[in-house]
Amino acid sequence: MRNTADVVVIGGGVHGCSIAYHLAQKGIKNVVLLEKNYLASGGTGRSAAGIRHQFGTEINIRLSATSIKMMENLAGELDYPHGIDLMQGGYMMLAYTESQLDQFKKNAEMQNSLMNAGTKVLSVDEIVRITPALNTEGLVGASFNKRDGHVDPFHVTQAYADAAKRLGVEINTRTEVVDIITEGNRVTGVVTGKGEVISTPAVVNAAGPHGAIIGKMVGIDIPLYPERHQILVTEPLEMFLPCMVISFTHGTYFKQTPHGSLLLGVGDPEHEVKDFNQESTWQFLEDVARKITYHMPALKNVRIVRQWAGLYDITPDSQAILGKTDIEGFYLDVGWSGHGLQLGPVVGKLMAQVIAGEKPDIDISVMSIDRFKTGALIPEPACV
Amino acid sequence: MRIDEHPVLTFTRGKKVTFYFDGKKIEGYEGEPIAAALHAAGVKVLRHSHKKNRPRGFYCAIGNCSSCLMVVDGVPNVRVCVEKLREGMQVETQKGRGDLIVED
Repeated sequence: MRNTADVVVIGGGVHGCSIAYHLAQKGIKNVVLLEKNYLASGGTGRSAAGIRHQFGTEINIRLSATSIKMMENLAGELDYPHGIDLMQGGYMMLAYTESQLDQFKKNAEMQNSLMNAGTKVLSVDEIVRITPALNTEGLVGASFNKRDGHVDPFHVTQAYADAAKRLGVEINTRTEVVDIITEGNRVTGVVTGKGEVISTPAVVNAAGPHGAIIGKMVGIDIPLYPERHQILVTEPLEMFLPCMVISFTHGTYFKQTPHGSLLLGVGDPEHEVKDFNQESTWQFLEDVARKITYHMPALKNVRIVRQWAGLYDITPDSQAILGKTDIEGFYLDVGWSGHGLQLGPVVGKLMAQVIAGEKPDIDISVMSIDRFKTGALIPEPACV
Repeated sequence: MRIDEHPVLTFTRGKKVTFYFDGKKIEGYEGEPIAAALHAAGVKVLRHSHKKNRPRGFYCAIGNCSSCLMVVDGVPNVRVCVEKLREGMQVETQKGRGDLIVED
């Protein structure tokens, strides 16, 4: 392993790999990425990997629209032969009350005026035309964007990692960061679990739910905690569900992968554990089966294959923490609270610009860690 | 090929029944796994892989591996190694992944 680096990136998820690639692409070639487990082993690979324009805050709308555009050309740009299984069959957000639909209308207007997103608000009839098997009981409408959809999170991460390596980035998996060395108010190095020391003037914390532990190494309190979310996987079926479907009312979402399997999820912050436990539970199996068969009764005959769990990195306003900190050379890209996968491409680019001392293409200052001191929180109304 | 006497296990056989494999009439014993009856009748290819269309046969025999998914009485993705045979069953080779069945 190299013992000096221009930048050390902590975390081999989609954000870490994207940052490393974009740094190298800028000509900052001596980048070392450290991943405690294997690439995409954390939240990235455990994500349902939905991508959507349909957010409710200006910053997320700007980021996601740009990121989706990047994903549309990603395999080509990164010369990645396997493709990233990008499925743009849309993303349908179900509304069960008029006030929810009003919020979706406001969000859609913002998405369309800021980024020309093409988001539409659908009537129940229009919903049924896209997803005939959906239970319409209680539905009042939906927000829909046909360029939304989902992607394969492993391929996106691997595509960035491979491209980064070709540009000279060193990627070390099974390498945990146990300490960060500072002198005065600035970062000077990183210590790994194998006892190696890498001298570096810049460290990026892209460690997801472990981000708070990394923050403590330089004496910074990052307000984020892990929260378990689980996903159920069914047997593969012929394609019948073109779009990802989500209900904030029920905390549910589901999609059909190109392989044919359905991924079924429920966000259950009230009951789910808030630590590093990634075990699957039978309670979830029961809960998700009940909730998703309500949305789509025909799924009751579909067999379950397996189940997995992963961790969200939740912040007080469910928004990411990005950019510089009070410690010189210590940068943050953490706290995505469950919607970070899709923003990996654009945020990697922006973080690389910040680290290189440039003005980022999109102003991300509202996501600074300082907002927890000033109280300028930016709660996202469109999240599970 | 069938085992008539097993050195350790004792077993009783159900009554002889007829069923259909891709429309062809075949005999088996009621209550035995469909796959066992097919095997005894010389049917070795149960499905084909999705990407390369390679033949798949009797493999795990305990309902885990999805090597034996077939359409049984119109229902796709039935694991015939753990599904019991009944009189008159229509067992068909499955093309593709099987469709979601939406009841009215």
